[in-house]
Amino acid sequence: MNKFIALFCLVMVLISCSGDGELFHNPDASETGIDFKNVLTPREDLNILDYLYFYNGGGTAIGDINGDGLPDIYLAGNQVKNKLYLNKGNLEFEDITEQAGVAGNSSWNTGAIMGDVNGDGLLDIYVCAVVGIKGFSGYNELFINNGDNTFTESAARYGLDFDSYSSSAAFLDYDLDGDLDLYLLNHAVHTEESYGRANLRYKRNYETGDKLLRNDGESFTDVSEEAGIFGGIIGYGLGVAVSDFNQDGYPDIYVGNDFHEDDYYYLNNGDGTFTESLKKFFGHTTRFSMGNDVADVNHDGWPDLISLDMLPEEEEILKTSEGDDNVQTQRMRIDRFGYHYQFSRNMLQLNRPGSFYAETALQSGIAASDWSWSALFADYDQDGEQDLFISNGIPKRPNDLDYIRFVSSEEIRSKINNTRLVDQDALEMMPSGAVHNYYFRGKGASFENLSETMLRKDTLVSGATAYADLDLDGDLDLVTNNLNREASLYINQTNNKANYLKIKFNYPGPNKFGIGTKVFSYHKGLLQYKELYPVRGFQASSEPIIHFGYGQTDVVDSLKIVWPDGTFQVVKNAKVNQTLKLSPENTLKFDYASLLPQQGNRFKQVTDNLGIDYEHVEDNYVDFNRQKLIPYQISDRGPAVASGDLNGDGKDDLYFGGSKYHSAQIYLQTDTAFVSSSYPELVRDSVIEEISAVIEDFNSDGKKDLFLGTGGGDFFGQSTRLLDRLFIQGESGFNQAQVPEYFEHAAVIKPHDIDGDGDLDLFVGNYTRTNDFGAIPPSYLLRNEGGVFQIVDNLSLQKLGLVTDAYWADLDNDQKEELIVVGEWMAPRFFKNDKGSLTEVELLEQEISGLWQAVIPNDIDGDGDLDLILGNWGNNNKFRASQSNPLKMYYGDFDSNGSTETIIAIPKDGKYYPLESLEGLSQQIVSLRKKFTTFRSMAGKSVEEILDKKTLKEASLFQVSELRSGILMNNEGKFSFTPFGQELQVAPITSFVSYDFDQDGKEEVLAGGNYFGVKPYHGRFGSFSGAMIAGENDVILGHEMGMDFSQKAVRHLHIIHMNDQPYILVTFNNGKAEVYQWLN
Amino acid sequence: MRNFSVLVLILWMVSCNVKQEPIEVSAEELHSAVDRVTNIMVHDIFSPPVASRIYAYPNIAAYEIMALNNEGYNSLSGQVRDLSPIPKPEAEKAINYSLAALIAHMDVSRRLIFTEEMIEVFRDSLYGVWEGQNSKEFNESKEYGLRVAEHIASWMDKDNYKQTRTMPKFTVDTDNPGRWQPTPPAYMDGIEPHWNKIRPFVIDSADQFKPVPPPPFSMEEGSDFYKEVKEVYDISNEITEKGDTSEEIEIAQFWDCNPYVSVTRGHLMFATKKITPGAHWIGITKIACRKTNSSFDDALYAYTKASIAMADAFISCWDEKYRSNLIRPETLINEHFNDNWKPILQTPPFPEYTSGHSVVSGAAATTLTNIFGDNFAFDDDTELRYGLPVRSFNSFNEAADEAAISRMYGGIHYRTAVEVGVKQGRDLGKFVLENLNMTKETIVATK
Repeated sequence: MNKFIALFCLVMVLISCSGDGELFHNPDASETGIDFKNVLTPREDLNILDYLYFYNGGGTAIGDINGDGLPDIYLAGNQVKNKLYLNKGNLEFEDITEQAGVAGNSSWNTGAIMGDVNGDGLLDIYVCAVVGIKGFSGYNELFINNGDNTFTESAARYGLDFDSYSSSAAFLDYDLDGDLDLYLLNHAVHTEESYGRANLRYKRNYETGDKLLRNDGESFTDVSEEAGIFGGIIGYGLGVAVSDFNQDGYPDIYVGNDFHEDDYYYLNNGDGTFTESLKKFFGHTTRFSMGNDVADVNHDGWPDLISLDMLPEEEEILKTSEGDDNVQTQRMRIDRFGYHYQFSRNMLQLNRPGSFYAETALQSGIAASDWSWSALFADYDQDGEQDLFISNGIPKRPNDLDYIRFVSSEEIRSKINNTRLVDQDALEMMPSGAVHNYYFRGKGASFENLSETMLRKDTLVSGATAYADLDLDGDLDLVTNNLNREASLYINQTNNKANYLKIKFNYPGPNKFGIGTKVFSYHKGLLQYKELYPVRGFQASSEPIIHFGYGQTDVVDSLKIVWPDGTFQVVKNAKVNQTLKLSPENTLKFDYASLLPQQGNRFKQVTDNLGIDYEHVEDNYVDFNRQKLIPYQISDRGPAVASGDLNGDGKDDLYFGGSKYHSAQIYLQTDTAFVSSSYPELVRDSVIEEISAVIEDFNSDGKKDLFLGTGGGDFFGQSTRLLDRLFIQGESGFNQAQVPEYFEHAAVIKPHDIDGDGDLDLFVGNYTRTNDFGAIPPSYLLRNEGGVFQIVDNLSLQKLGLVTDAYWADLDNDQKEELIVVGEWMAPRFFKNDKGSLTEVELLEQEISGLWQAVIPNDIDGDGDLDLILGNWGNNNKFRASQSNPLKMYYGDFDSNGSTETIIAIPKDGKYYPLESLEGLSQQIVSLRKKFTTFRSMAGKSVEEILDKKTLKEASLFQVSELRSGILMNNEGKFSFTPFGQELQVAPITSFVSYDFDQDGKEEVLAGGNYFGVKPYHGRFGSFSGAMIAGENDVILGHEMGMDFSQKAVRHLHIIHMNDQPYILVTFNNGKAEVYQWLN
Repeated sequence: MRNFSVLVLILWMVSCNVKQEPIEVSAEELHSAVDRVTNIMVHDIFSPPVASRIYAYPNIAAYEIMALNNEGYNSLSGQVRDLSPIPKPEAEKAINYSLAALIAHMDVSRRLIFTEEMIEVFRDSLYGVWEGQNSKEFNESKEYGLRVAEHIASWMDKDNYKQTRTMPKFTVDTDNPGRWQPTPPAYMDGIEPHWNKIRPFVIDSADQFKPVPPPPFSMEEGSDFYKEVKEVYDISNEITEKGDTSEEIEIAQFWDCNPYVSVTRGHLMFATKKITPGAHWIGITKIACRKTNSSFDDALYAYTKASIAMADAFISCWDEKYRSNLIRPETLINEHFNDNWKPILQTPPFPEYTSGHSVVSGAAATTLTNIFGDNFAFDDDTELRYGLPVRSFNSFNEAADEAAISRMYGGIHYRTAVEVGVKQGRDLGKFVLENLNMTKETIVATK
């Protein structure tokens, strides 16, 4: 019996051991000979408490050190000796550390990289070390390759023997003088208990500061200061990526810094200096930046960047881990201390020449891979698309909330007080963070998480990772350096299932490997682009080759090789499945300008803005302080803008609504410019927030009047500041006139003569009520009787929804205009006008509730009827919605205290989880703290389990089944929804204008968007640069046509005319209005 | 298994029937119940103002039962705001008043804290003992104690606490240089900005003891305010130089009483948790009770009076904190003198003026002096559990003065906040004494 069980267990163990992933096979150390194990031995005086990067692991460097064509593997250990394994072929390796003399002498090694420092064509090894804390001794070591499988440690000779806190380093030829320089990445140990100001980065510090080291032949010179490289006490450098990000021929550098310090984006000026330009090109970055990698994922020839962070994927881990800052802390870090926006999740930054990077990790599906160290893009399955491998894990999760709040104190209190040390017992109580590594299959900028099938499910803590074709079968294998376990080999099983090309360079001069060489590959109209920078990922360098996958394509149409010296050559019709060895031949000067987008600008900002000097200023009001659980703010939807001839001179003037403490502004049009003009009677109350404005002649006296819709989260209840207002223009100026009294937040006011009596009636679409988000405010139809407005009774308008936009348009060609209303947590609604009374009609073929922000009619498909262009929330955020699994919002008084709250629940694997953590929820619903006395007790629980069913049943339920913007196509009066492509889903689309910009007789739609009124949990939605939409698939983005709205929250787009010349007026929330003109 | 439990039950019933002795509840049991609440509060992490409320209501519940049966003490109904007389026990029931009081104490406590399990374990073990000692007396007293607890709870529920939970978070004013800013390392939101809306027990309103305003904000050298900031910085440097064993640092640490000191080491975070200022004075009350061999009833009286005064003290102090909304020394010293400076104590997450510990210490010392007399010397071992030494004092007032000045040594308060704060507490304490008539004249005379 017992024998039987033992046998059974053995079988089970064997089965689970051989549970290989479909793409990668993990051979055993006993087969390969790679027995390196980075064993960490914590001591009383050396553990995660004493050294913050105790768990960061060692380095991995791969390259052919003996010229036999087989890549060899070097692994660096923290406390154990480093090892060098010679590749003998057939995935058998020989430990030649002793003979080679590369075991190292430092107490604590970190990153390891290979590069040819002395230009003899042999790969040397540079090993970083942390020296000077906790008694760590030694220095960064440089093992110069003697060419006979032995090395000579020569760091001092080359001036690279730093005894500081090094994480890693990268070789690059930043000054294009033909030899390899070195960027040394150091890390801080400065207390992050207080942030300190961002300008601490300007004060150089030897131990912690990064360094740029110029290769002067015999030795390296520290040129950090003159080159403009920061070297401060707050640089927690963990990631470094070298790439010619702006494609000007000079390599640039991206440095990922952990904690509150910003990442650095060094653009190479080409004169030996760099300009750090992060805030100019990145809307936000990772917060706890770890490793990073660069590759062109979307086939546009421009390098894109991933930077890793530590957002957990699993619900249970997510809800027990310390989350993002709250809004106020974030503001303080940015406004007071001078840092940039940072959020704790992976960031995929898509390169957009001349503009901000578009950050799409949430949309792309790679935002959460837990405690992540190394990212390596490569075409692992050789289908022509970049895939992504992420190594991760941490032995102990130090940010576990239960540990922080409840466990740690009891266990370590006395220890801390007495000795300032934590003992092993206390550390043991932290939960393990050994999460499986991740594999994502790429398709352009979209990625699919295939970790479960493609990799063996592991419990490894994997750090530094490098790729190489270890078995010379053409596909890329991986090596991870693990904590306390043997290093792992991931042998790629693609083999001959798909085609590849490997390229090696033989470049003249000291940079023999051709570091910095670029390859543009074209096959079947598809561009793939790679640069040779072997240092990538985290504390590692990969085999110095270029690798492409081609699927079933046999011949590559052309390869354009751009050498570091700025010359290029083309290889035509290269056969796949071989290793090309290329040297410069018949080269020509490469024109980098040819890489810039070809279509050229269509618009240009008018230099004097036509005299319009309006800036909307949003007050610092934080909606989340009052309604802690609302999904987004409601107080930041201004300003109101209207154009119309206010002074009766035949020229349209402009009204810009006020915001709290900032009065409305009126610009009158003259022959040459708009001029700010004073209308004291209109701007008496400077506290009102105006959201919508209409300039029309309401009392039919030939003079234009003004109707103003107000809102603003700062005002609530029956505040007179929430009353809409009407100003009738008489002989002596404007006089305030009566309007019906209602206190909802206005969203949109659309005039239309509904009763055919010749004057304009109004649809007033209301958005919400302050302090009661989720309550449906009545919207109104106001009938105009000689300039006096009366509410028309209409039950469906009373329950319309959280209205954001509306339009009157004739959708069925009956010469009468229908009212189209869109809003949040609702589907678009349609009303037919029957002699002044509105009747709802159902025109949708499918229910599509969304977070609709804007609507405009346009015959987009040119079939003669009007389609509707709809702006929605987009899918680049943490909301999730589909027809079968809609996003949910419960609205009710969950804590029975007389005020309402909302709870957002997102679908995940068939269950619904609250978006907020226990911490967040219990700020509003304190009773949850009694129900869930630990974070773990609520983590992983569905919203039904957390709030009892009865409460949920009594609550109102709102749903959203579609988050994407798109088109409602008019099919003979019935409307069906077609979403736009991904590039239009990166942020909310909030405003449209329809106009025949190209004078082809058909109107195009210009779209603007972006929104920032969300908690740091979501990040910032700033990546939409605007778009010209001429057809379902005919879209040009703003930054490609000279009108870039990136990182600005567009609220309105208007066409205004001056001297018969049309212009586009763009109004932003919390920003300066801009005027654009066409270029012919 | 089932048989076994039946057997146990029978045995237990038999044993119950055998000895039906009267249940004795001593002052020590009351001390343990109060200690229990203190420990749960440390675990659950309640802020100082909330903690003061958690002490007051259970004490009052127990006191009201005790006062029914002890001619020396008067009921608080009609004396503390909105408290109506507790229900009387049915005449035929044999109520053990101390027992009922203790049961009410535990039940009201249970409602106030988060982790109920921690009190249930304690309660159930006592229940088991009492059930064994005298089932009838226990059950009748329990029924009554719980009824009173319910009465107190419905009064307690109307003190606006629930409503203040969902009132707006404190909005930081980043534009005004004199206004409070969140402080390192956790940069927590300002806690309990609406505590002045909690119904007070004895004082007329939250602003009845509104202190004089702090010196006007100015970082101009030589201004009164500047001098105060500089003084905190100088004192801190001076005593840091003297080293960890200096008297001032020992004083600062002894009175830290911060329920949640968050510690960050890289990605590693943890908290060291301690009792609140209110809890420290509850601890001193226990020491005084033990030293005077106070009976259950007398100890309950002391706890109740002290906790009422302290609860009102927090309401008064918090009212001022969010009125003056004054910036902490740490923020200014980092900004103007030394960006690496850290206070000896971690700055707690709320505005500076006045010092909460000073106000509450003033109020508590005044009350305890009234109960136990002036020049009451005691050895304060309250913080032993938290790794701090014993300190000896000649009087409650001496302790209060030391607690107040400790905040300056700790680098978290200016002098004015401390001096005005302790006076604010004493004035408030006096008012509470004058307006609470808890003891019959004769008893007061003997105290």
